[in-house]
Amino acid sequence: MNELRKWASEQKGIMAALLGLSVLMGAVIVGQAYFLVNVVDRVFLQNQSFGAVVPMLGFLFGLMVIRAGITYANARLGVNMASKVKQRVRSILLQKWTQNPIQTAIQGQSGGKVTVMMEAVDGIDSYYREYMPQVMKASIVPLIVLAAVSYTHIWSGLIMMVTAPFIPLFYIIIGIKTQKKSEEQLDKLAAFSGQFLDTLQGLQTLKLFGRAGRQRDVIQKSSLGFREATMDILKIAFTSTLMLEFISTLSIGLIALEIGLRLVVFDSISFVSAFFVLVLAPEYYTALKELGAAFHTGRGSLGAAEKIKAELAADEQPVKWGDREVPARPSVELKNVHFQYGEGFSLKNVDVHIPSCARTAIVGATGSGKTTLLNVAAGLFDPQEGDVFIDGRPRASFSESSWFREVSYISQHPYLFSGTIEENIRLGAPGHPARAEVEAAAEKAGLTELIRELEDGLDTKVGESGRGLSGGEKQRVALARAFLKKPSFVLFDEPTTGLDLKTEQILQRSINELAQTASVMTVAHRLHTIQQADVIFLMNNGEVEAAGTHMELMKSSESYRAMVQGGAAG
Amino acid sequence: MKRLVSIMMEEKRDIWLSVLFGVLAGLTSVALFGLSGFMISKSVLQPPLYIITIMTALLKLFGAAKAGSRYAERYVSHRATFTILSNLRVSFYEKLEPLAPQIFGKYRSGDLLARIVGDVETLQNFFLRVFYPPLVLVIVFLSTIFFTLFYSVWIALVLLGGLVLTGFVIPGLLALQQRKVKQGVRERRAGLSTEVTELLYGFRDLKLHQKLDEKEEKLLQIADAYVQEQEKESVQAAASQSLNAAAALSVAFVVLALGAYFVTIGELNGLFLAMLVMISLTIFDNAVPMAVFPAHLEDTRQAAGRLFSVVDEEPPAPKMGMIERDDAFSIELKDVTFRYPGETRPALQNVSISIPAGSKTAIVGPSGSGKSTVMQLLLNMYTVNAGTILLDGNSMGEIQAENIWSKTNVVLQENHFFYGTVRDNLKIAGDGLTDREMEDTLRLVELPFSLDDPVLEKAENLSGGEKQRLAIARVLLKRAPVWLLDEPSSSLDVLTEKRIFGHLHEAAQKDTLVLISHRLTGLEKMDQIVVMERGNVVEAGTFNELMERKEYFYEMKQIEKNVLA
Repeated sequence: MNELRKWASEQKGIMAALLGLSVLMGAVIVGQAYFLVNVVDRVFLQNQSFGAVVPMLGFLFGLMVIRAGITYANARLGVNMASKVKQRVRSILLQKWTQNPIQTAIQGQSGGKVTVMMEAVDGIDSYYREYMPQVMKASIVPLIVLAAVSYTHIWSGLIMMVTAPFIPLFYIIIGIKTQKKSEEQLDKLAAFSGQFLDTLQGLQTLKLFGRAGRQRDVIQKSSLGFREATMDILKIAFTSTLMLEFISTLSIGLIALEIGLRLVVFDSISFVSAFFVLVLAPEYYTALKELGAAFHTGRGSLGAAEKIKAELAADEQPVKWGDREVPARPSVELKNVHFQYGEGFSLKNVDVHIPSCARTAIVGATGSGKTTLLNVAAGLFDPQEGDVFIDGRPRASFSESSWFREVSYISQHPYLFSGTIEENIRLGAPGHPARAEVEAAAEKAGLTELIRELEDGLDTKVGESGRGLSGGEKQRVALARAFLKKPSFVLFDEPTTGLDLKTEQILQRSINELAQTASVMTVAHRLHTIQQADVIFLMNNGEVEAAGTHMELMKSSESYRAMVQGGAAG
Repeated sequence: MKRLVSIMMEEKRDIWLSVLFGVLAGLTSVALFGLSGFMISKSVLQPPLYIITIMTALLKLFGAAKAGSRYAERYVSHRATFTILSNLRVSFYEKLEPLAPQIFGKYRSGDLLARIVGDVETLQNFFLRVFYPPLVLVIVFLSTIFFTLFYSVWIALVLLGGLVLTGFVIPGLLALQQRKVKQGVRERRAGLSTEVTELLYGFRDLKLHQKLDEKEEKLLQIADAYVQEQEKESVQAAASQSLNAAAALSVAFVVLALGAYFVTIGELNGLFLAMLVMISLTIFDNAVPMAVFPAHLEDTRQAAGRLFSVVDEEPPAPKMGMIERDDAFSIELKDVTFRYPGETRPALQNVSISIPAGSKTAIVGPSGSGKSTVMQLLLNMYTVNAGTILLDGNSMGEIQAENIWSKTNVVLQENHFFYGTVRDNLKIAGDGLTDREMEDTLRLVELPFSLDDPVLEKAENLSGGEKQRLAIARVLLKRAPVWLLDEPSSSLDVLTEKRIFGHLHEAAQKDTLVLISHRLTGLEKMDQIVVMERGNVVEAGTFNELMERKEYFYEMKQIEKNVLA
């Protein structure tokens, strides 16, 4: 609730307007009752001519027009507020994510984040569009109506005052009770409601085992079970609405009886006052009931707000940059680097020096920090302790764009954006290279044959909306990107297995070619890669356990030896 | 729509009860307010006290009846709704079941099932929001109008006009307006969803290529456009609601003005004016549910259209052929070419593989080479574009799919497990399996589970390796004579894999076995290894033959040796 309220309070103007409109609404309701009652009184009791009530009818009509106008304005303001808050929340979320470099490492959680951006943000809509205007109106209108009734006839006012608290009270009790009940039944409900989807998803398995026919009864049983469990909860809600109806009906009845008696027996109230009270009483109770209902509406947005809040609470560690230009073919050095995020990614005390145009390999078991090290070197993460130097100067003094202009990163699973193959290769290339250059890069990356096979060639659409390429083909597109970009620092996360021979050969050849003009840092899974490396860093548990050439490490490090021989024996 | 009504009408009793109570609730509330207006007017004329007493008692009665019938209406209508949901699910399941699993191949989007579930849920609203609100509204209005006829024909006509306006014309206009806007909202929403997905999944590439700011800006623009389109939709709804409220107020106003006029010219007794005005103020409460009626109507119309179009697929013509023998049979692919629906490049091209009865074959190749496609074709999930597949010498096109499935032990890359217990998931392998058998099999695949251990949705409480071993246990219990295994052990470590394969080979001693694998280890015992690349068979032979030939398989083996563990 707090987050939702905070975002609402940022919209001061709209809140004030809503308040003003609610006061006006209360006044209009009272005025409408006043004129209505008087028209009836004049023609019914005072036997006035129609002409005499025409001005009053005119006022009445005017008020009704205003009432409809206020209803519209109120709804409109709610919609405006919802739009503004949604836009704002989306941009806060986006900012949060793009500034958090860890995003590169936790792509696995991206699905959940898409849901937050889409569903959760849309989920808070009703809070601003319905709940806020409703609450504002429902808390002000009854007060004004009560004042008008009390002024006219204090006893009716007193009845209203005494009976009113029961309604919100009841809503609170119901809310707590239904929530408790639904929490009790939550597992049951979830199980029942998921069964249909579960069965459909398992339909293939059921078919393979010849069991599909019998599932019909299971579906029916779980659906009826869902009905019973839900009805249990709904019954509480319906019963309480029943009680609320009773309270308001009884209260109105009480008021009617009271004024009726005064009118008939004691003759101590005028028809006008009595009718006025009678017209306003339902408005009063309806507004109170709306207030209760509004809280239910507001509840619905709570879950969504919680999800957004959780996203915003994550801490971020943006990478610091300066404005110096990165020189061509820089050396990179990590000194005493520490990094820790969650459980998976950690680096301790890492010292790594990568001279200009050197080839380095990082090896180690899964979870030893290889990829994290690559990400720190790439400038995607900043170390929490220690420093990164480019050509001997702190990285924070260089500009982000000049650094990334020099970097290519070929990951195990390169991402293709929706667009043509050409656009995907062009991604990030400086200037606007000619089509022939793109073709040359594709040629070097071994894509020519594929492109020739495709009807639209380089203009074939790939990515989300287009055709799928195989893992090996995506790797080659990533290589083509690097060839076009001509970086001086290449980071390469070598694929483990599953590539075709051709891609394997092209990868080797391409990395060799790129290494002519760039430093290459590889998370290595292949023996020949480490044999060719100028220096190998053996990672273990976030630390550099040993460093040296292949020959040196074979001599000095037992775990390196074990790893190399273990791999070769497989 | 017609079929929807017929599914709904299975719950006749609850449906008519809902309508009955709905009408009762509507009428009593009109009566309540009418009577209170009448009572006040009457009181002024100094009637005897007992009249006031009777009327007050009546008021209480109406109040109680209104609240009571509202309760009954809600209770019965919701119960009916959930029963209808259950009937809908069963009915759709019955229609979908014969079409599976081939239909999943046709709609390759993974969300087909979620969409079906969602659409079925939308349809449950058909009764609650589409079918009976207009029915109740019309009955309540017509009764009330009939009642007012006794006092003034004109006022009755005004009320009738109000009914048409608030119940049908204004909601209908809104629906027309919203059709277009909703389309826009959907399109923008899809656009935004794509942008967000690209930004998050492609984050690293965007960052490295300095395209993040550009993407961010584009995303925000689309987000704003989406919000604007949603705003348009909401504003239209708000305008329509305000218009409706204004129409209701206007009707009350006209009733008052007309009534007042008739009173002054003596055509209407002033005593009834307050009553009529109160009635006209109350009755429009009944039109409130009509505001959402067109939207729900449209939603159900679309959901029903989508659903029926999925299940209205002609079920494949029944095939009569059977594999006669009960023991292992042979499998042969002859010149098979296959292209996935909607793709231009073929997934398999002139593939011929011969698998004699009782032999053990491994199909290997890089990802995307078409080895899993072979498996899907063998399971009759798709039909080949050219060439034939022979099972036991008979063309697969003539053999009942059920017959093939009942004679094969299948482990897929992704295996489904049902919410329930380990026992529930093993039991589907065959009738009359004893706990003892199931427990022994669990031990065989080295799973420490007890049969009563829970399995959560999508087996999310099991690791990848545990799921694969549970799937293997399930087929070990099925004991069919042909084994089709698609990377059944990719998440297991090499040693466990070796032991479990030992058990598999033992169980499948006399059976035909096809193993798809991207690992090249443990293939020495196979009778035949088929190597695939880019939809073609590049070579085939025993392990030793292929190693001696020193071509594709040999090269792949060299690379694998070269890969560090």
